[in-house]
Amino acid sequence: MRKRNRFLVLLAAVGLVATACTGAEGDGASAGSGSYPRNQTLFTSGSQWGVPSNANPFRQGDYATGTVGLLYETLFLFDPLGSKYEPWLAEKDEWVDDKTYQVTLREGLKWSDDEPITAEDVAFTINLGKMKTVPYNPLYSSIESVEAVDELTTKVTFSEPHYQQWANWVYFNPIVPKHLWDGRSEKDIMQGANFDKPVGSGPYLVEAHDQDRMVWKKNENWWGKDKLDLDMKPTYIVDLVNSSNEAALGQVLQGEIDLSNNFLPGIASLVKGGYKLETYYKDAPYMLAANTTWLVPNTTKAPLNDPAFRRALAFSVDTDKIVNSVYNNIVQKADPTGLLPIWDKYIDKGVVDELGPTYDTGEAKTLLSQAGYRDTNGDGFVENKDGSPISLKLATPSGWTDWNEAGRVIADSAKAAGIQLTAETPAAEVVQDQRESGQFDLILNNDRQMDDTPWRYYEYIFGLPVLENQTTINYGRYENQQAWDLVTQLDGTKVDDQAGMSALMSQLQRIQLTEEPVIPLWYNGLWAQYSNAVWTNWPSADGGQIVPTMWRGYPQKGAIKMLAELKPAPEEQ
Amino acid sequence: MTQQNTDPVGADVEPTPVGAATSEVATVPGVATVHTAPVRREALYFARRNKKLLGGLAVVLVFLLLGLLGPLFTGDDPLAYVGPPSASPSGEWLFGTTTFGQDVFAQFVHGLRATFFVGVVAALISGVLGMVIGFTSGYRGGLLDEILNMVTNIVLVLPVLAVLMVVVAYLEVRSLTSQAIIIGLYNWPWVARAVRAQTLSLRAREFVDLAKLSGAPVHRIIFREIAPNMASYLFMVFILLFGGAVLFAATLDFIGLGPTDGTSLGLMLNQAKQWSAMNLGLWWWFIPPGLGITVIVSAMYIMNVGLDEVFNPKLRES
Amino acid sequence: MGRYFGRKLGIYVLTFFVAVTINWIIPRFMPGDPVRTMVSRAGLQDPAGVAAMREYYTNLFGFDLPIWQQYLNFWGELLQGNFGTSLWAYPQPVGSIILAAVPYTLGLLLPAILLSWWAGNKFGAYAARKKVLDNTVLPVWYVLTATPYMWLAILLAWALGKVAGIFPVGRSFSASLQPEWSWLFINDLISHWFLPFLSLFLVMFGGWAIGMRNLVIYELEADYANYLGALGAPQRLVRRYAFRNALLPQVTGLALQLGVIVGGQIVTEIVFDYRGLGYLVLQAINANDLFLLQGIFLFIVIGVLVANFIIDIVYVLVDPRTRVGMSA
Repeated sequence: MRKRNRFLVLLAAVGLVATACTGAEGDGASAGSGSYPRNQTLFTSGSQWGVPSNANPFRQGDYATGTVGLLYETLFLFDPLGSKYEPWLAEKDEWVDDKTYQVTLREGLKWSDDEPITAEDVAFTINLGKMKTVPYNPLYSSIESVEAVDELTTKVTFSEPHYQQWANWVYFNPIVPKHLWDGRSEKDIMQGANFDKPVGSGPYLVEAHDQDRMVWKKNENWWGKDKLDLDMKPTYIVDLVNSSNEAALGQVLQGEIDLSNNFLPGIASLVKGGYKLETYYKDAPYMLAANTTWLVPNTTKAPLNDPAFRRALAFSVDTDKIVNSVYNNIVQKADPTGLLPIWDKYIDKGVVDELGPTYDTGEAKTLLSQAGYRDTNGDGFVENKDGSPISLKLATPSGWTDWNEAGRVIADSAKAAGIQLTAETPAAEVVQDQRESGQFDLILNNDRQMDDTPWRYYEYIFGLPVLENQTTINYGRYENQQAWDLVTQLDGTKVDDQAGMSALMSQLQRIQLTEEPVIPLWYNGLWAQYSNAVWTNWPSADGGQIVPTMWRGYPQKGAIKMLAELKPAPEEQ
Repeated sequence: MTQQNTDPVGADVEPTPVGAATSEVATVPGVATVHTAPVRREALYFARRNKKLLGGLAVVLVFLLLGLLGPLFTGDDPLAYVGPPSASPSGEWLFGTTTFGQDVFAQFVHGLRATFFVGVVAALISGVLGMVIGFTSGYRGGLLDEILNMVTNIVLVLPVLAVLMVVVAYLEVRSLTSQAIIIGLYNWPWVARAVRAQTLSLRAREFVDLAKLSGAPVHRIIFREIAPNMASYLFMVFILLFGGAVLFAATLDFIGLGPTDGTSLGLMLNQAKQWSAMNLGLWWWFIPPGLGITVIVSAMYIMNVGLDEVFNPKLRES
Repeated sequence: MGRYFGRKLGIYVLTFFVAVTINWIIPRFMPGDPVRTMVSRAGLQDPAGVAAMREYYTNLFGFDLPIWQQYLNFWGELLQGNFGTSLWAYPQPVGSIILAAVPYTLGLLLPAILLSWWAGNKFGAYAARKKVLDNTVLPVWYVLTATPYMWLAILLAWALGKVAGIFPVGRSFSASLQPEWSWLFINDLISHWFLPFLSLFLVMFGGWAIGMRNLVIYELEADYANYLGALGAPQRLVRRYAFRNALLPQVTGLALQLGVIVGGQIVTEIVFDYRGLGYLVLQAINANDLFLLQGIFLFIVIGVLVANFIIDIVYVLVDPRTRVGMSA
């Protein structure tokens, strides 16, 4: 008896302590030492899925959130919503002649160790491209020479100009300090963690990193405060690693995360549910469109090697059902060209009206029978032209719940049109393996993000040559030399030559819609939900139009300016 | 009783007293109690009067019927979008709907089917494996016993779920059947151990000696003489294996290592978590599957206690 | 005594050897290529760059060596305490990631096991043969022990965390704090610890209580108990003997349960995003980090083996009969 009492007392004590301290927490985060003052800290989530393992800007797939943007900066920004390049580290640039590019830095820029930022740094960074494993090595092969003309001006001479790729480079790739990176081996540059007090030019510096968070502290001496008149509001930025979207949602609702760039199912009902939550649009689709989800057919396998069959498949997919039921309208149906809304001006409406597929099971059936696919064995599904049965598989990575659901909808609607298609969910690793080696029938993919030019999309669709392993583009292994020549021509068109670009793209769209090498389905959202509990004045369609995300590649798309626009929420009594 | 002094944990010679043997079955902690009394005719008499047994059995049967017959009424595809999204339970949608408008009740009854399937198949596999290895090891003795015992001890000590996770994580495509087989292949050691101990004690009995003298072959002795004397015990082992397998399967499903197609109670829990049912307040999505598992498994356990009382006169309520 | 422990130790060493070997084999013969995982993270397009990267990682992971040498190297590294490099947290060593997670796991596991074992035994013995009490609490215990760990965890998180808002759900401490020795942090730590602890405790408690209850009933029916009763010994005394005798199998039960408990721990950590080994397991699976998975698995096996060995020793210490047997 005595012992049991002691046990109960112990349990009660534990409970009391626990309750006591949660009580304190509920009172609104009293900030003591060892904590980040809540009202000066921005908590973000949704861009980092693994442990923040490096602050190395050359590891474009896994650098810690903010490495480019907060720590290292680019010469220009590109604002996809306003569709314009904005000078950042650079003051101006120009093509002196067809093959010579010249960029001039702002005056008086400084690294965080007080060394000046000069044209030497720019030239050094570009020249790192000679290393095979640096991501822009392919582009570098068309560069003849790079030269720091004076303190601020860098001159790049091309053997063959890729205007589109270069425009992409100057806004996407950050400049690193020569005085600290010079002499590093290729291994150091590509494998180094670069976590030991890295010196950058940006508005934040590495404060701490841990298994589940990356902490940035404001750089009070940042050059942009004077030169750009931008003052970053949060003193600390804590980027949290969440193991699941569900965990992130819980923290958003509790006001522990200010900006969540996670896919949060059900957000539509929560935005209207009094949680102080906000999204870019007040109503559906709530989010900006960030990238296109494509249904990628393996064009080397029968019957998917037949454009007529692919077109029939495109007509069979009930995308509205995916948009409505799977996503509850937080995404939009894609244009038949797959081009994002920000590229609307490049869409040739005439071509789309003439050729663009829409959901129409009857039309899909007609197309199939016209092309010679008939149900000869009476099982309700069409057979190959030689009479052998068709049985296709659509693979989406296990655990990618929205895609798994979408896969089921696609399979169901294909079956309704007479195409035997089953949805499978193998492990993500297996899907990747099949995708790269070309052993799949159909997959979903969205590897290209919104960008400065649709050239990146067309490279993704038509890129040649097809290699044994297709690691980043043209997973469907579609070979069309004529189309690829057009894409190359597009690359050689200057970014301000709108008419020239449009003409080429119109031709590409005609090929795309007749051939359907990839079938655009819907635009994945730029998932962003903000809590107004601590910070307000978030980007929105009718306020500051800025892309509201910390995802890699987006700070240089203007998201960095969001940090200067934030305002502390009014104190609550 | 004398053997117990030499080796308490049973690496070598197994203790046979009632108490210690209980812990042998403790993979589901302490639920089973072991004894080797043959099934008596009077058992049936007590079985009909045992409330625990009847109650447990009734619950299990109700769920089994629901699993078998339910799908006939709810249609073949529990994943189809048939209703309004996120509807709470009502006359039309008994258990409400998911965020996509899937019928939770339809998923539940299909899930029950999957649960019983995995439970039975896995329990059969591990039951048979455990018995064969246990009988052989206990009856043959010698080097074979040493080796089998060693294997058993090794598998017994490896953390089950961790191993299953590693194995399952690397399977390319997972089905309900492969899940059942994997669980079955992993859950036999404690059965083998307990059966071995029982066999050791039975081997020394007179009727076995008699059979040996009459020249009966080994398998005959095992299956004709020894196994029937352990029938009641083996039946209870099967129930425990069933419960264990169901819980394992649910755990694997939950962490995303379940079958890659179809539905099960564990997968429902997994889906509910993935789609934030908790944060969105869709309690009808995550309560039924967990409750279903809990009720089935606990009914099984209570049935087991009832059986124990039936077979073991000392435990009967007087 | 020495021979007894020698034999036990032999089995453990053999088990360890088998576990390490299985652990080494499984990932190597299953789909999934860590080299490609790493290469694809670099996001390269150019075949020459991809090839150079492949070569680098193949070499780093030692996949360019003959398979037997990889196996021997694995042992060599292991004995130096080197579990390799994690992919999930590249380039951190697996060992240090695991060590950082261990305190959280043990902090949950040890109190949950010990308290549930202790309380389960007490309550189980108390309920045995007290008809009214027995009939009311026994079904509850069965329900507890039949509850899937993660479901109870979800229920608690939903009821006490989300609806009632008493406890925080998710993470082992608040995102706004840094680990340090302050009351603020310790309070925060405990409040995050309580729900996962409670869910583990409850499920285990049911099991132990049932076990003890059954054992005590058996003991009370044993000949010695009847004999004592016939001699006129007080009921209290008889019960105390029964309790003592029933305790021994419960010790063995503890050893046998460890593997299952570890499993429950894993899913509980996953539900609560509690940064222990279970959470790491999920991360490793998702990131296809076979080195981390191997490391955690080995660590768990070693932990279970050590715990088993300790329980063996405890058994010998608490059971006088075994001591007599061994010295004879």
